[in-house]
Amino acid sequence: MNDLLNIKIISIIALLWVIPIKAKEIKKDSIHAFDSLNYWEECDICGCSGNGGSMGYGTLLNNDFLGLRYITQQYRSLDGIYNNSPWIDENFNTIQAWAQFKLSEKVSLNAIIPYHFHNRDFENGETQTISGLGDISLLAFYKIISPKMEGWLPEQNPIFKHSLSLGGGLKAPTGVYNRENNQGSVNPGFQVGTGSWDFILASDYSVTYKTWGAGAMANYTIKNENKASYQFGNQLNYGITIFKNINTNSMLGFTPSLGISGEVFEENKSYGQVVQDTKGNILFGKLGLETAYNRFSLGLNLMLPISQNLNSGNVEAVHRLGVHLNYNLF
Amino acid sequence: MTNSFKTLIFLSLLIVTACDTDDETESLSGENRLTLEFDNSFSGDDLLLETSSYTNANGETLSIARFNYIVSNFMLIDENGEEFRYPKDESYFIISEENGLTEVILENIPAGNYIALRFGLGVDQEKYQQGAEGQGDFLEIAEENEMMWSWQAGYKFLNFEGSFTSESNSEQTDFKIHTGSHGSSLDNYKEVQVNFPSDAVVSADLSPLVHFEVDASSILTGTHKIKLSEKAVIMVDEEKSPKIAENALEMFSVHHIHNGTGGHH
Repeated sequence: MNDLLNIKIISIIALLWVIPIKAKEIKKDSIHAFDSLNYWEECDICGCSGNGGSMGYGTLLNNDFLGLRYITQQYRSLDGIYNNSPWIDENFNTIQAWAQFKLSEKVSLNAIIPYHFHNRDFENGETQTISGLGDISLLAFYKIISPKMEGWLPEQNPIFKHSLSLGGGLKAPTGVYNRENNQGSVNPGFQVGTGSWDFILASDYSVTYKTWGAGAMANYTIKNENKASYQFGNQLNYGITIFKNINTNSMLGFTPSLGISGEVFEENKSYGQVVQDTKGNILFGKLGLETAYNRFSLGLNLMLPISQNLNSGNVEAVHRLGVHLNYNLF
Repeated sequence: MTNSFKTLIFLSLLIVTACDTDDETESLSGENRLTLEFDNSFSGDDLLLETSSYTNANGETLSIARFNYIVSNFMLIDENGEEFRYPKDESYFIISEENGLTEVILENIPAGNYIALRFGLGVDQEKYQQGAEGQGDFLEIAEENEMMWSWQAGYKFLNFEGSFTSESNSEQTDFKIHTGSHGSSLDNYKEVQVNFPSDAVVSADLSPLVHFEVDASSILTGTHKIKLSEKAVIMVDEEKSPKIAENALEMFSVHHIHNGTGGHH
């Protein structure tokens, strides 16, 4: 069954790449504050070892960039199977280097290299820490609907623009998966990697009207069995964001945003057998602020759960916070 | 050739290498141990002796001092309905919260995908009829864990003690529930089958753990409602002890299975 699914995904990815690529370089002379709104927030319940994010992989009117991002996530997790079992606090921290390069006007590549450092405090006072390189992801996006080009004259600038990108990619098992961390009834996501080659399908739509914009994204990650015969459940991420671009002058811009995003997890498997209490879903409300100055952009994102049922209620997300600094290459 | 194309080719290669690791389901072979973890609880709360109190559906608040029982005659059922009966002479175990005996290890289980387990609560007549000699070490272990009346009276299958309060008993009142077969005159040995929520996979490499949630509240408030306020010491009781024996079977359910190489919590 999985094989069949995998074949389908590979075909889709392959198809995307067969589409001829025009090596036409178009120079952008202005910084688009919108650009960085639908960043792929590489973050989820699986201790950031999973992939896929709640904010989308794609970008609007995208520039090429290099950046760094710090993400901190707090969870509470039930250590045991009973109502009166102790709750433990878990902190997931990630620093990631990320980049986006345009291969052509239609095709772009995204890469994310994460480094994780997680810890959790057990009731007996013990603290468990894991850290290390996470799973590196590479994605290719193809722009199905491109925004109309701007002309030199102000009246040539379209007021309404929209863009749709579809993409696919791979998450490589560069993070160390440790089966020991999956024992017990505590959050099975306490890992720096899934240990498996996983496939990602992504879509991203954005629309802007004057200084307002909205984005919708959905992505799906197919996770495979790793060498330790553990398989994390497939994962769907989706989200909607609205934003407004406020330019104080030609050099400095602010873009506040507001949205919701959700994650749906299927059950994990161990030696081909379902692991109880591993599926779940969560809906976040998110607030963001992006500032652009010259070639730099600085962003802050806060996500707070609106509703959740993770691991049969045995895991609770408290909040997520992300800060990033990007340097636009063109 | 442009750099872009090189990147694409590199990525394509990655995908190709990623998907040729398709594994086939190997047939299981060999044998291994299977561990049963009897995790004692009371209505969804972890059972803690003496320190916690639990209110049951009869409106009685219990403080539990002892929760011991005998499990026996294990039979595993695999996905094809095939049964594997554990050797009878090695099939008697005591679970004791106070003595920290909560694990049963079944050795040399043949490889397979097991979906259910059948076992008894107590000691069957056949075993008891073998006489004191036929009991081997188990007689001594039972005595050490307060699971014997005397040889003539036989084993206690369940030893559940503590104190309680209720509307009619505002003072802490001791309760004692000891059930057994009372020699061979009253046979309270009963068996139960529990289904697993996922397969327990046994092979030369795989040694699963079956994590039971054992709910002590069933003893008094299972199918039969047994009020401690009516009778707080139930030992040889032709009416109530068979009902308790039936209720006690309802204690057992499997919360989850750990498949793996033997490490577990």
